[in-house]
Amino acid sequence: MRLKGRAMMSFCIMLVGAGVVIQAAQWPFKAALFPLIVGVPVFLLALIDFLLAAFEKSDKEHATIDFKFSGHEDKALVRKRTVSIFFWILGFFFLVIFVGFPIAVPLFVFCYLKLGGREGWLVTLTATFISWATFYGLFVWFLNVPFMEGLIQKAFTALGVHG
Amino acid sequence: MFDSLLDGLLLVLQWKAFLYLIIGAFIGYWVGILPGIGGATTLALMMPFIYKMTPAEAFPFLMGMHSVVQTTGDITSVLFGVPGEATTVAIILDGHAMAKKGEAGRALGAALTSALLGALIGAAFLAICIPIVRPLVLSFGSPEMFMVIILGLTCISTLSGQGKRSLLVGLMCAGLGFIISLVGQDRQAGILRFTFGQLYLWNGVPLIPMVVGLFAIPEIVELAIQGTAIAGDLPSGKLVKGVMQGVRDTFHYIFLTVRCSLIGTFIGVMPGLGGSVAQWVAYAHATQSAKTPEERAGFGKGDVRGIIGPGAANSKEGAGLIPTVAFGIPASTSTAVLLGAFFILGIVPGPDMLTKYLPVTFSLVWTIVIANILVVAASLLFLNKLAGMTTIRGTLIIPFLLLLTFIGGYTASNDIGDLIVTLLAGGLGYLMVKYGFPRPPFVLGFILGHLAETYFYISTTRYELEWLYRPKVLVILALAVLVALYPSIQKKRLAGREALHAPKG
Repeated sequence: MRLKGRAMMSFCIMLVGAGVVIQAAQWPFKAALFPLIVGVPVFLLALIDFLLAAFEKSDKEHATIDFKFSGHEDKALVRKRTVSIFFWILGFFFLVIFVGFPIAVPLFVFCYLKLGGREGWLVTLTATFISWATFYGLFVWFLNVPFMEGLIQKAFTALGVHG
Repeated sequence: MFDSLLDGLLLVLQWKAFLYLIIGAFIGYWVGILPGIGGATTLALMMPFIYKMTPAEAFPFLMGMHSVVQTTGDITSVLFGVPGEATTVAIILDGHAMAKKGEAGRALGAALTSALLGALIGAAFLAICIPIVRPLVLSFGSPEMFMVIILGLTCISTLSGQGKRSLLVGLMCAGLGFIISLVGQDRQAGILRFTFGQLYLWNGVPLIPMVVGLFAIPEIVELAIQGTAIAGDLPSGKLVKGVMQGVRDTFHYIFLTVRCSLIGTFIGVMPGLGGSVAQWVAYAHATQSAKTPEERAGFGKGDVRGIIGPGAANSKEGAGLIPTVAFGIPASTSTAVLLGAFFILGIVPGPDMLTKYLPVTFSLVWTIVIANILVVAASLLFLNKLAGMTTIRGTLIIPFLLLLTFIGGYTASNDIGDLIVTLLAGGLGYLMVKYGFPRPPFVLGFILGHLAETYFYISTTRYELEWLYRPKVLVILALAVLVALYPSIQKKRLAGREALHAPKG
């Protein structure tokens, strides 16, 4: 039996269903009723799908009403680009955590365009300015969205250093 | 009645009211385009401005804004695959797929025209049906509402894939959506379920970061994999020719447009179900219009009917006002906020709205009509320019899409938890797309989880198991079974037809 990605995912959903049922069994009836009604069928459906996927001989993809990632001949390139974009996404997230949105936005756009996209200086600086102006003008100034401070600013504030 | 209809129009056409309508529609236009900032939030933000207005000025302002949010939300969904609103997610499946094929203009033309027709049908329904719809809404109790949810989920689960396993996987994804909706404080016993000690999760997993992450992040990954613009390497000349084709498509499938508008209207009338549900049920119905399995396989990959269906379900905006105006029962979060506006202006929704304030009620209808016509006409003028944005190269557009995704997710409750939910939902969305698990039933299960649990709990505690034998419940159950069996019936019919026409010998 070769565990394919699809089978692995069904297996994970099966575990989630089982977890819901086990947890719900410890709750009072009122709180447990619906989770049990949902958890048991999800577990069973995922189990059936897992068995079907695990023992399926063909590698034929099942059509769903959703888009499919582009087929690319060079699998290694696809993997490299996928890993790379997830790193950028996570990088932006940690940037927001550490320095807050107002600094993270232009910094991320600049770094992505210069390092990830290898764009020229003019394009990079113009796009960075536009992103910062749009972000600040629209969300901070006009809509007054309260953006959190980054951990670094919070640390400075805690140390009594004010910018 | 006719006099009131005319009085309503004259109320909206007074210069001050008309000016407020245009301001409202302008704000709604941009709110719709920006991901994450929902129509309900913006309505709430605009509340302080109506204190000094008369009802004839305040309603065009608020309704003008509210009624165009979904219409323009479709633009972001089609062009970038980032949902402009929670109610414009379904249109991504085929709309963005068309944008990637270089048919953004056609997709936008179809989306805006069907949304306009839907809004007009919903407004007409609001004008005509207030007295008729009252007994229907009041005759649906918790058991029937629960079954309507099950019917909706069955529709989308059955139609979200092909082959024998489609129903199995569809229902499994819907169930997973239900499970995610269980997170948070249980409303019946006050138990904290799957919150992992996080205060943020007490109110459950928020909708906006969930749908933004689930749909936007896989699209960003796809764009990075492609290494080209959204529309690939297609020449820009092809993009700007499609708008009128999209408009013609909507009229070509006019019966589908009308049917999906009626679906949106019916769901819009039902308190609590709201626009997020209507779009998916309309989408599921649009897929049913495929006559062959091959045709059905084209959905999700850029079939214009997949845009027209959810677009036409825009009728729910007008229909959603019916329970709000007639009975004071809001049909959605937006109408709940709007209900607050009624009280601020000293108007109590109910029978008075159908007698004493009938011109004001009709002015709401006219506002929906005029605001949508204005916005769609304005959009169509520079739609080709918008479609041209899909030719900007990927490396330039990715950071801006990520920015919209993060801010769209974050503005749900301005908490770091929103960003974490967006990221996790993005990861889940990526895996679902990669391994062929349909996202529509998952999203619908997630959206309806709370409601389903409430209706199920009330039905069981009030009627025990007897609710299962109520005639309307049985009828809806039969419909759900029919929907589940529909693909097999259709397949057998087609096989029979092919056998009949096959050359003998």
